[in-house]
Amino acid sequence: MMQETALSESGANRTAQRLDPAAVPWAKPSRIGLAAAILTLLVLPWVLNSFSTGRFAIHLLILFFVWGIVTQSWNLILGVGGIFSFAQVAFFVIGGLASGVVAQQFGVSPFLSIWLAPIAATLAALLIGLPSLRLRGPYVVLLTLAFAELVRNFATQGPKWVAGGGYGLRDVPKFGFENLWGATTGRVAYYYAAMILFLITTYVIWRIFYSPIGMSFRALRDSETYATSRGVDPYRFKLLLFALSAFFTGLAGGFLLHYNGSQAPTILNFPLTINLLAMIVLGGWGTFWGPILGTALLTALPEILRGPLENWRNMGMGLSLALIAVFAPEGLFPILSRGFKKFFGRKDKAKAS
Amino acid sequence: MEKLFQAVYGGILYGSIYGLMAIGLTLIWGSLRMLNMAMGALYVVGGFLTWTAYKQWDLPPLVAIAIGVLAAAVIGLLIQVLLINRLLGRSSFFNAAMIATVGAAIMIESAALLIYGPRVKQMPPIVAGQSKIIGVVIQYQNLVIIAVTVISLIALSIFLKKTRYGLAIQAVSQQMDAARLMGIPTVMTFMIVATIGAAFAGLAGSLLSSVFYVSPTAGYAPLTKALIVTIFGGLGSIKGTIWAAYIIGILEAFLIVYFGAGFALPVLFLFMILMLVIRPSGLFGLGEVQRL
Repeated sequence: MMQETALSESGANRTAQRLDPAAVPWAKPSRIGLAAAILTLLVLPWVLNSFSTGRFAIHLLILFFVWGIVTQSWNLILGVGGIFSFAQVAFFVIGGLASGVVAQQFGVSPFLSIWLAPIAATLAALLIGLPSLRLRGPYVVLLTLAFAELVRNFATQGPKWVAGGGYGLRDVPKFGFENLWGATTGRVAYYYAAMILFLITTYVIWRIFYSPIGMSFRALRDSETYATSRGVDPYRFKLLLFALSAFFTGLAGGFLLHYNGSQAPTILNFPLTINLLAMIVLGGWGTFWGPILGTALLTALPEILRGPLENWRNMGMGLSLALIAVFAPEGLFPILSRGFKKFFGRKDKAKAS
Repeated sequence: MEKLFQAVYGGILYGSIYGLMAIGLTLIWGSLRMLNMAMGALYVVGGFLTWTAYKQWDLPPLVAIAIGVLAAAVIGLLIQVLLINRLLGRSSFFNAAMIATVGAAIMIESAALLIYGPRVKQMPPIVAGQSKIIGVVIQYQNLVIIAVTVISLIALSIFLKKTRYGLAIQAVSQQMDAARLMGIPTVMTFMIVATIGAAFAGLAGSLLSSVFYVSPTAGYAPLTKALIVTIFGGLGSIKGTIWAAYIIGILEAFLIVYFGAGFALPVLFLFMILMLVIRPSGLFGLGEVQRL
């Protein structure tokens, strides 16, 4: 809450293109906490590798990193920008296709071709962002849904080098860490690669979130008329939003393709989109940590609930979505952080007095 | 001539199917200003209940369809009472309602999975038999679908124009505040609208269970199509939705007959994107009325 007020007050100084120091939390996160988190992430795969179930846990963590990138960038457009774009998975697939087709057809190393993924996704986002600028709310849903259906059509029935006769891309060259260092170390290498992409994305989105640009996105979402009259160009900023969001999503798509070695066009079906949406909503729509928390929960929980509860876990997910919408529309993260602050805030006061 | 007839026939059939699915969405948008993402799940409810009543309880097909429609209507009403009514008046109503209905859809879908299992079910045709007119095979059950759609759309428009409740629905969708000032119980109207919308989705599901298969996830494809039809026609406009359903249906059928199935969807979606660029609020949309 404090941050929010500081940010909105600082809107008055927008001519100076500078925010109040109190509104620049990236200068503030405790270095010890950050270092501890990164150290944990670095050591974690080696610890997990010594357990028998660790192999699968590492795979789950890699998936968490990949979907974390996607939900964070989707949250940027959905929660921060307030634009109902349902084309996020399409950008993901476009990224995968661009990198995969080039790697497969021209024998380019995946380390080089993966850079085509964000570029292709960004171009696609600009293409679809341009017409959707004229539209509002639900009409953006239609445009992006139609675009996603177009991409799915292309990915399932397109030329053979894209659709593979309906099976999608198969036998795409992988990064090949496992051939270099063996299966165990190779797995850790994939983990590190995904982690680096995730951390870069998180850092960039953090900077965007608490910057004049993020402020402008939020202003456009809350009142387009007011924001425009204060000098925020809606066209420029919305296009930028689309481009930024697609860039990282495409990169994640390229990574997952070269990690799995294949991409089935079924990922464009509704369930994945809804799952990703659930991650954002559950964690906290429009907040920074929300999508990360949501992704972690919805990647881990279904695996924990495997076994006797397997049949009930989808039911639980639906129920929790409905409950969140009714009782806690801002998501889990704001609630948790409020509780956390309350608990620790009291402690601080006790110390001071 | 044969091809032309085939295309027109197919178009009217597709248009009827899309119209049935989309009319509920547009009614609900008209009065509540929300997208009901549970429409696909209600379609599945209609399909499964009709299948159960017909196959397992050995009821006559018309009764089975009525049971399917009724079940979908009841569940639609439950969603409205338990979830949506609690969200009314919130500033983030659009988001919250969309999320709540997605949650409801997932719950219904997993319940269907628990009860019926993942295997697809198919109803035998309600009216068996077919005949050939001008070289085109016409199945009687498709004629039934077209007839039922046209009759229920006409019944709906009579309901909206002639009855008190219908007029209340129209008043709420035109000017909610004024309607409330005139003493129209808005929450009650919302509940009626939700029930009618769900009944139409259930009707689509139970009629189409003999054409397509029913499975717990069968609702997503018709939901996507219905969303596209509704928004294409202009949200909240019933006339626009019916036009859009038949325009899209006939366009799709013509593309399939003359250019092959592979071309139909891409051209259709390109057409829709172009159309949205030209008319940003659909064919007969309510326009840029902002509700503050």
